[in-house]
Amino acid sequence: MSENLLSVRDLTVTFGPRGRRVSAVDGVSFDVAVGETLGLVGESGCGKSTTGRALMRVVEPTSGTVTLEGLDLTAASGRTLRERRTAMQMIFQDPISSLNPRRRARDIVAEPLDCWKRATGEERRRIVDDLLTQVGIDPVAYGDRYARQFSGGQCQRISIARALAMRPKLLICDEVVSALDVSVQAQILNLLEDLKAEYGLTLLFIAHDLAVVKNISDRVAVMYLGRLCEIGPADTLYAAPAHPYTRFLLGAALEADPEAPRRHEILEGEPPSPLDPPSGCRFRTRCPFATERCANETPALTEVAPGHRVACHYPLRVTVTPGPATTRTGPTGSGPSDAT
Amino acid sequence: MSSSLELSELVEEATETPDGRRLGVLFWLCVGWLALNLLAAVLANVLPLENPLTQNYNAVNAGPSLHHLFGTDDLGRDIFSRVVFGSRVSIEAGLGSMVIGFGVGAPLGMLAAYRRGRFDQILTVVMYVVLAFPAIIATIAILSFWTPRTLLKIIVVIGVAAIPLVYRVIRTATLAVATQDFVVAARVQGASDTRILVRELLPNVAPIAVSFLLIGVATVVTLEGSLAFLGLSVAPPTPSWGNMINESRTILQLNPWLALFPAAAMCLFLLALNFIGDRLRTHFDVTEGKL
Amino acid sequence: MSEPTLLRVREVTTTFDTPTGPLTAVDAVSFDLAAHESLGVVGESGSGKTVLSRTIMGLQPRRGVSVTGSVLLNGTEVVGASEQAKRELWGRQVAMVFQDPMTSLNPVVKVGKQIDEVLRVRLGMDRSAARARAIELLEMVGIPAAATRYSAYPHSLSGGMRQRVVIAIALAGSPQLLLADEPTTGLDVTIQAQILNLLDEVQGRLGMSTILVTHDLGVVATRTRRLVVMYAGRVVETGTTRDVFARHRMPYTRALLESSPKVSNPSHTRLAAIPGRPPNLLDLPAGCAFAPRCAYATERCHHERPVLEPADETGHLFACFNPLPLRAASPS
Repeated sequence: MSENLLSVRDLTVTFGPRGRRVSAVDGVSFDVAVGETLGLVGESGCGKSTTGRALMRVVEPTSGTVTLEGLDLTAASGRTLRERRTAMQMIFQDPISSLNPRRRARDIVAEPLDCWKRATGEERRRIVDDLLTQVGIDPVAYGDRYARQFSGGQCQRISIARALAMRPKLLICDEVVSALDVSVQAQILNLLEDLKAEYGLTLLFIAHDLAVVKNISDRVAVMYLGRLCEIGPADTLYAAPAHPYTRFLLGAALEADPEAPRRHEILEGEPPSPLDPPSGCRFRTRCPFATERCANETPALTEVAPGHRVACHYPLRVTVTPGPATTRTGPTGSGPSDAT
Repeated sequence: MSSSLELSELVEEATETPDGRRLGVLFWLCVGWLALNLLAAVLANVLPLENPLTQNYNAVNAGPSLHHLFGTDDLGRDIFSRVVFGSRVSIEAGLGSMVIGFGVGAPLGMLAAYRRGRFDQILTVVMYVVLAFPAIIATIAILSFWTPRTLLKIIVVIGVAAIPLVYRVIRTATLAVATQDFVVAARVQGASDTRILVRELLPNVAPIAVSFLLIGVATVVTLEGSLAFLGLSVAPPTPSWGNMINESRTILQLNPWLALFPAAAMCLFLLALNFIGDRLRTHFDVTEGKL
Repeated sequence: MSEPTLLRVREVTTTFDTPTGPLTAVDAVSFDLAAHESLGVVGESGSGKTVLSRTIMGLQPRRGVSVTGSVLLNGTEVVGASEQAKRELWGRQVAMVFQDPMTSLNPVVKVGKQIDEVLRVRLGMDRSAARARAIELLEMVGIPAAATRYSAYPHSLSGGMRQRVVIAIALAGSPQLLLADEPTTGLDVTIQAQILNLLDEVQGRLGMSTILVTHDLGVVATRTRRLVVMYAGRVVETGTTRDVFARHRMPYTRALLESSPKVSNPSHTRLAAIPGRPPNLLDLPAGCAFAPRCAYATERCHHERPVLEPADETGHLFACFNPLPLRAASPS
């Protein structure tokens, strides 16, 4: 797990004209090791999707570097970029708009092969049939259907088959199950796990659903208003979040269990506008522990436990043995519930 | 986003049978009518028609008869023959100017919507400036000075005037498609820009383009008629639907047939074009996922 | 349990006429809702939960739909009621909160005016009283600086704020029943928690009954007292929320629960996915609609339709020929 497939350093994306600059992603750095799944969570507008798209250079990063297998993607352009980028593939949220409604399933999956002239004739047919079979679409019965004739779940399967056609190393999944029914969502998540093992894939799994991310990820990164708050192993991060925002976020997650304790620590208010983000720590305006220092000084990601880093001046105590959620305490001994 | 099905979606889902949408009898009647018109225009020279220019002073302003199906005009020319030959001018003007309008406007519109950025901004501003000219007045002005008037000049003037309109429609249609995820997907698979334009965008823009093309032809036919009425189209004695109606003006009470038949021919032709265009547009509207 | 019945739904069937044949979106659904009670209606796409909530409201297109059965709201029959009669109910007896707060608000009318309108038309308040009450309602739903926000347009508010406004409009007529159809779908988790807490709070404060329609089991788990689980337009299991979660008998209920990922699961937990596709309402099997996807289905399930039968005396019902055995300890 030590070898890094993807390294992101100080990735920054700003949109819009001067005066109305939106800082969508601000100095995000992380690594993804070969074979792992990194979950990227956050609420809408936190920049998680923009991060995914900037990695692919679908949106142009303003600054920062993206290195895939030691090759700098940010410096490449034209055909070099297009070629290198095939080692990275992306699956999108909206299954319907991910597929061209006027093309047949078979042709959609074959598109990357056709682009790079990797296979023709019988071989192309065999590869496409194999891919469709693997994602659970019968190539004989459904291969010649048009994309618009498939359900959401089936469309997402075809998208996955298309992404796998170039045998990518890294698969970026951007909210791939959030438009699907629960039962179909589970099918797609299981399929991703199976294909990950079979193809030796590395996954960057972007989602807003904390439960989904927990189930699929080895490590989880949390974003708030364009910045990374916390990154660490999924189990310890969920059991003992060190950033106050992560703790609120987890507290708000709904568990499908009537016996689950009702948490009363609710994060009040709404995120500030990315047009005019707060100085220092961007969460400070809603954080019950914020001090003067948080406004003046931007906290850097610092390690609080092995592999667990947090960007907070006053990180919550990380309990080494994951205990029940209710025993966690804040740095000053007072829980956020007192402050809200 | 949600797992709930709205009422309308439920009904839509039920209405939608895979590829089972019918165009209807009326659509095919219109297509047949257009085909007949086109065929007659193309084959006018070999069809057993009277010469549209031959004058016959023995049969002036005659009503419809077996010999002269639509009657004759004030110079004794066969109206049926003149309507058929006159359709050539209308159809040539309509198709010709649209070839120019689409030939230039459509590729530019697609490219602008796909590339965006500076290219799109500049082009769009230029097109809007051109659009800001009152096209019909400009057309009339240019045609009044650019003599002698030939059909080709009329086609060029109308065609150039149509470019910004076509550009705008195609650009908007492409924008709606270009922002969808499958275009991003094609990019990340390494498809070149040309490939994306041809494979992903064109098939989705084409139906809108075709229906707009048909309506465009109809508009030009009307425009040619109006120009002819003002005496700004092809010079007599060459017949066109427009100048036939123009000629009938002075003797309308004496010979209503002279106005009726070219007007009816033009009206039916336009009706068929517009109906087909409209029907095709709704028929091909699948981009908004109806699943 | 001793509360009087507020809503009595009996054998409600909603059928749409489609060119390909009749489509039964809600099929013989019956349940009761007591005053002050909260009920969750859970189901996936095509389960008929949204159509059911609209049928209870009496919101159907005028043509192409037939509704049979009975919806008695506080003694008033909704099925077949005239528009006039329904207008009497809407707002004062029953109000609805829709999924998309943007489209359920008029974008060109100030939010305060939209509440005013309900107050003046439904309750006959005068202008100044309505304004005061509207601001009070905005405060109640937790909108900061309510007096200023009164003159805000919907587009200037965030999604969560808009949903609060929608709730304020629903509460304006002090309804006895609040129907919330996916009220938090599309909202962020922290905002979702705020809105659900708000709904809880106003229900308690105003003594309303609520029906929470959702696809998300997490939303209903701790927010409702009783549950109705729907599949292909039919009720397949109903009972107290605790019973349905812990002592469910219908395989679909279990499948739905087990296919939902949980925050408490360790990472890389394999989910028990339900095979196959959600049902096609135009082509339902003769027997149990879930049979084609069910691991326990027998020959009988494919031919005969199971009816709801009691699991115990507490009102826990399920429709299944091969019910799951009760698990003694540690429910899922």
